[in-house]
Amino acid sequence: MSAPLSSVQMVRLVAAREISTRIRDRTFIASSVLMIVLILGVLVFQVVVNSGDDTQRVGVVGDPGQLGTAIEAQAEALDVGVEVVPFDTGESARAAVETEEVDAVLLDGTGSAPELVVGTPDATLEALVSGAVGSVALGEVLAGAGVDAADLPQVTVTSLDDDTAADGQRTAVAVVGVVVLYSLLILFAQFVAQGVVEEKSSRVVELLLATMRPWQLLAGKILGLGVLGLGQIAVIAAIGIGGALAFDVVELPGELVGTVLWLLFWFVLGYALFASLFAVAASLVSRQEDLGSVLTPASLVLVAGFIVAIQAASDPESTLAVVTSYVPGLSPMVMPVRQAAGDVALWEVAVAVLLMLVAIALVVRLGGRVYSGALLRTGGRTKLKEALRAGQA
Amino acid sequence: MTPQVGRAREAATDSVAVHGRRTRDRGTVLEFDGLHKSYGDNHVLEGVGFTVAPGSMFGFCGSNGAGKTTTMRIAMGLARADAGEVRWRGRPLDEGMRRRIGYMPEERGLYPKMRVGEQLTYFARLHGMDAAAAARAAEEWSGRLGLAERRGDAVEKLSLGNQQRVQLAAALVSRPEVLILDEPFSGLDPVGVDALADALLEQCRAGVPVVFSSHQLDLVERLCDSVGILARGRMVASGTVEELRRREAGRVLRVVVPDAAPGWAAAVPGVRVVSEQGGDTLLELDEGTDDQAVLAAALRTGRVTHFAWRQATLVELFREAVADPAQRQVRQEVAA
Repeated sequence: MSAPLSSVQMVRLVAAREISTRIRDRTFIASSVLMIVLILGVLVFQVVVNSGDDTQRVGVVGDPGQLGTAIEAQAEALDVGVEVVPFDTGESARAAVETEEVDAVLLDGTGSAPELVVGTPDATLEALVSGAVGSVALGEVLAGAGVDAADLPQVTVTSLDDDTAADGQRTAVAVVGVVVLYSLLILFAQFVAQGVVEEKSSRVVELLLATMRPWQLLAGKILGLGVLGLGQIAVIAAIGIGGALAFDVVELPGELVGTVLWLLFWFVLGYALFASLFAVAASLVSRQEDLGSVLTPASLVLVAGFIVAIQAASDPESTLAVVTSYVPGLSPMVMPVRQAAGDVALWEVAVAVLLMLVAIALVVRLGGRVYSGALLRTGGRTKLKEALRAGQA
Repeated sequence: MTPQVGRAREAATDSVAVHGRRTRDRGTVLEFDGLHKSYGDNHVLEGVGFTVAPGSMFGFCGSNGAGKTTTMRIAMGLARADAGEVRWRGRPLDEGMRRRIGYMPEERGLYPKMRVGEQLTYFARLHGMDAAAAARAAEEWSGRLGLAERRGDAVEKLSLGNQQRVQLAAALVSRPEVLILDEPFSGLDPVGVDALADALLEQCRAGVPVVFSSHQLDLVERLCDSVGILARGRMVASGTVEELRRREAGRVLRVVVPDAAPGWAAAVPGVRVVSEQGGDTLLELDEGTDDQAVLAAALRTGRVTHFAWRQATLVELFREAVADPAQRQVRQEVAA
């Protein structure tokens, strides 16, 4: 019936309880919903801003033929969406403009006196149609003279700033990602801290520690909530990527996925550090009311990282951004922004990760001692030194 | 006292005899051996030791701050002893063995927002039960302690009395081999006390050694096969209540002579007057003083309506045992 439990089983039991309790918790559900609504909101906003009066409808009398192709080619070159609508007669075409069924109609497009009838004047549309008409006419004249239009010199475009647009999009994704990452770090580290204090203030910790070691309790709590946090950020990322692709907000899905994967990676590291820090700090107090004061130092690091990261989005190569992208605690938010902006060597990322791992190891080791020393001390606030002395390494 | 309680106590006295001789099988007892613990200059425990046989109930008494909770916490691994150890079946308690102990801490503790049923299942699992067995045990114990209808409620929604029942269920749900309960009766109404007493006696009959601390000495006297009295970090008395009485027996003699002249007893050689109210006197006799000589002296002063060695209650034994030696000296001098 009962068998001795291994540490792994113990940690898993604790983690499972954390997940099953938290997943039904109102704060958790509310925050999840809020986060998803926020992401969807950002997407919809992007779509609305980008689309505006998206596709122009241009009527052409008779068979559009070559002219239609030319208009569409011009539209693509100018990055405007155009739909060519054929009309039988000039009268019906004019009527369609008046009823705003189309934005403009082209009369006598291939003749000697082409005329563009527009609802409201639109310079882009005018340029587009004149260009199309011109190129068709030019093609015909050239063909008449026995010259193939394909022989005309073509302009090749060389961009010195290679993929500005792509970088910009990736940075935008990284900024949104960092906002999500920061919110989730704060939220889940808070959950860990609240859980620690709940166990202390309700004194259930004494019953728990009669069956397990402090580190097993701490590990189970951090892992359980971590899995939940990672799950949440993954769901948000999936919704974000899926939505972005569906609404055509961003292109380059490959790059986008890379940026998001890095964000997930940094979330794991950041969470490991901040959850441990928050848990250790929380173990020093016995009441939820006292939680704020002990969490302040660690929270300030998080906030600082967030502010620098937002700053870094506009100037990723600034000294501040470069330096802080190595600092443990700040790096999980600053580094992904720098990475998204490009120009970060792999060794730089490796150094930041390594420093972060060292910091996590230190916190877990020292913090574990403080935690086990402070857990059973109730009433008032335990001094860090006392807890260290009382704790078992 | 319910009839059941009385029967159980008689049945359990046999095992006390075994425990009392401390000869038979040392490998079956729960043994607290020479526990020392100090916090700085504060010596909380100075050599606490006692044994509890399987199927016997040990009552742990002592004033506040005497060290009962510290002793129990050491057994549960929640505090480390500076010296000494707690053994079960001859082996020092380790983590694995502690999971087979049902424990109720002095400071009650449960997850306030967790449902009763889930909470009990969780504790059963922490003690090593698999999921199915834990769920069954949680259902069984919540039912037996009258919580069947509250299984789906968060603990914080329950009355204090019911929370206490959940606490007890949490200690019992893993079918423990040993029970260590710190003040299990405090905060219970009389019905709750009886329910808890029945539950403990049942565990006891099933062969589980039970240790509990209590300030309710009448309960201890009624339930326990043996008693330990702790004062200032030392065991000042331990054994069956009968043994303690015998130790104290021959000390206090009550003589009632309604018409006696005041101060008659003080004149008898080898007699110290503990108290004198009208003709009702409590006397302590020196070693070698013949009680029949006292009776003769009493008869000379008038009609003797009562003459008997007094059966000390546990409360009196307790007072005597925990009294500061210096105070006891003063009392004796005053009496003399």
